[in-house]
Amino acid sequence: MTRQMFISESALKSLAEELVKAGTRLVGPARERNGDLVYREASDLGEIELGGDPPTRSLKEFFLPPTEVLLTYRQKQGDVEVTPAPHVFAPLVVIGARPCDAAAVAAVDKVMDWDYHDELWFGRRLATTIVSVACGGGDASCFCTAVGLAPDSAKGSDVLLVPVEGGFHAEILTEKGEALVKAHAARFTEGGKAEAAKAYRDAARGKVQANLSADPAKIRAFLEAGFDHPIWKGIALRCHGCGACAFVCPTCHCFDIVDEPDSIERGTRRRNWDTCQAAKFTLHGSGHNPRNEQNCRIRQRMMHKFAIYPARFGEILCTGCGRCIRVCPGGMDLLETLDKLGRLPAGAPAEAKRGAP
Amino acid sequence: MQELRELAKKLLAEGAVKVVVGYAEGRQGVRPIFAATPEDADKLIFDPRCVQNLATYLSPRRAHVAALGKLAVVVKGCDAMAAAGMIREAQRKRDDFVLIGVRCGGVLADPRASAAVTEATVAARCPGCEVREPKIVDHLLGPLPPAPPGASALDARIAELDAMTPEERFAFWTSELAKCVRCNACREICPMCFCVRCVCDKSQPQWIESSPHARGNLAWHMTRALHQAGRCVGCGECERACPVGIPLSLLNRKVARVVAERFDYVVSDDPEKPAPIGTYRLEDDQEFIR
Amino acid sequence: MSEATAKTTEAKAGAAFEPRIAAFVCNWCTYTGADLAGTSRIQMAPNVRVVRLPCTGRIDPMFIIKAFERGADGVIVSGCHPGDCHYSAGNYHARRRFAIFREIMSFIGIDPNRITFSWVSASEGRKWGDVVDETVSRIRGLGPFAGYKNLVEKTHAGA
Repeated sequence: MTRQMFISESALKSLAEELVKAGTRLVGPARERNGDLVYREASDLGEIELGGDPPTRSLKEFFLPPTEVLLTYRQKQGDVEVTPAPHVFAPLVVIGARPCDAAAVAAVDKVMDWDYHDELWFGRRLATTIVSVACGGGDASCFCTAVGLAPDSAKGSDVLLVPVEGGFHAEILTEKGEALVKAHAARFTEGGKAEAAKAYRDAARGKVQANLSADPAKIRAFLEAGFDHPIWKGIALRCHGCGACAFVCPTCHCFDIVDEPDSIERGTRRRNWDTCQAAKFTLHGSGHNPRNEQNCRIRQRMMHKFAIYPARFGEILCTGCGRCIRVCPGGMDLLETLDKLGRLPAGAPAEAKRGAP
Repeated sequence: MQELRELAKKLLAEGAVKVVVGYAEGRQGVRPIFAATPEDADKLIFDPRCVQNLATYLSPRRAHVAALGKLAVVVKGCDAMAAAGMIREAQRKRDDFVLIGVRCGGVLADPRASAAVTEATVAARCPGCEVREPKIVDHLLGPLPPAPPGASALDARIAELDAMTPEERFAFWTSELAKCVRCNACREICPMCFCVRCVCDKSQPQWIESSPHARGNLAWHMTRALHQAGRCVGCGECERACPVGIPLSLLNRKVARVVAERFDYVVSDDPEKPAPIGTYRLEDDQEFIR
Repeated sequence: MSEATAKTTEAKAGAAFEPRIAAFVCNWCTYTGADLAGTSRIQMAPNVRVVRLPCTGRIDPMFIIKAFERGADGVIVSGCHPGDCHYSAGNYHARRRFAIFREIMSFIGIDPNRITFSWVSASEGRKWGDVVDETVSRIRGLGPFAGYKNLVEKTHAGA
């Protein structure tokens, strides 16, 4: 049973101060020099925007950085000496995470603990406490309600805050959340303000629902039967294959492992972000490429998120954050595609007339 | 607008092209449309929100678009320069496609914005544009709107950077490039990045480190800037595509200026004029060579 | 590290700065010129490692970037004088490319004085020695270029 409490705006500010003073890294949506809102380390709650615009990049980079050292190696007279990278997982508290970003981290947990337990991912996961703030309903690109989430989803969060008059209604969801509350007990008051929070939550849900109502089960059924459906042929015409969608996606987690030599004897092995939207992603050494053009790559993206991952892990690999739509320079629109797919009957390919995408 | 739609319908009806690539109203702002039918042709529009460089779809790397058959593409001046560039560099032949030119008074920075073109809203690249009436096109539509207002913010920013000490400039660029996640959106969207195999994708040897650390990013962006010398049409698509907001246009424009000053070459929509890299003059300045 | 050791290490590092310089040279003129310098017993600084290429036209600026990445403090690029190119025009093409590359470096904030460009013919053994000595003393003045190699440390948080 989640505990319900209340924290005032000023108490939250004090809590953040205490964290920083204790040497905990504080992260939240804050502005960069060029005005972009991103999750970044802040020294004060004043820098953090608890609501408003969606951050341009997701929270995933704090668990899976764009590049990280796995090991260094050194060849010595035929032997190879390998030194694992000395990773330190410093305590981190995220304040103001979007529920869609918190949910994404929880979804990716599944694959990171599948055939291989990713110590780096979980090292950072365990060191991090996520305090989400329920979202007010986002913008025209948001569709969390169509993938089983909501602007106030608790999934992946340790504490969920819902804005109410003078502060936040707080739901303490996990042990990590309890620990945070315990460490800053004076900042919270018992009871919560669930009643007051309800209007905000309902309004936000209604706002996102208006963007798209789709049934993920129906979409999955179509995808599982529709690999050869003619709709895929024109799906990616305006797509440039740039992969920006995957890099800003909170759930895309593909990576590439590269060795960077410093010399013939020594070097570093790194893990870098990668994307199935890049032509090189599935290129074989022979020169053959099973996903040889962009339509296949977009299909792969759809399949992985809405059929393959759900089949294997019971989770949709999309939280409806809408970043891929906001960032796409070609005007690709996942929300629109889902709407279209959701209307197609599963099973035998229809004689699809190719309209203008 | 009607003129554009009628022309598109005519080209489609006559079988001159299979698809007209143009701009249409999307769910959020303007986006490309691949019109193959008269109904789709009726969706074509052109206004200051038509930011995208559609000539990119002519790139030989767009196999999924090439498969549609012969294209007609709606082009502004900057886009026409990209089409000309592909011809100049033997990537496409002039007869491979039809260009529908539109006279342009400058565009907004963002295709989702809605505003009149003013000094405050115009895309940074537009003021001072000299190709508002592209010449290479097969058709040229619309009246010529007034020139984009003001002066380019890019030039002002370049002047600021030039005035800095090298250390300050290095700090500026390393902090900007540190944001780069190497998604390669800048490359993929660029009409002039037409190499089938980019040098940064080569791994034996790995000339450009593929890791998004500050050193790999610097190598990539310096190499890219160099490879764009005499090619970049200044359409700004790389900067628009960049998901982390790196001011790539500054670098591109700076290089364009160097090329103009040293080699007296300005990128144009004349495909016959040879590119400055790949040609030379005996009397090129060599003050930096001992 | 004790203060005393720290001081010694520091002093050692200061005294021991020997510039590491990579030279990319063309096979036909500069390499032969450097050979002549050797057979003529011309004395020059020993800091340069020569990489021989067919022509300056083959010297991609990526080579320079790679040299800096691997810890070079300076670079020399040298080939045939204008008019002398074994392949007629390779050096003219290279000249344009390097002119732009220098400006890009400078705009990014990297001191173009880290690189020497020169034309050294097969008969100019003496000039090669001068180019090497002059470059080494200039790079010595500029100091180590570890900042470039170590850029890798200035990167995304957590990496």
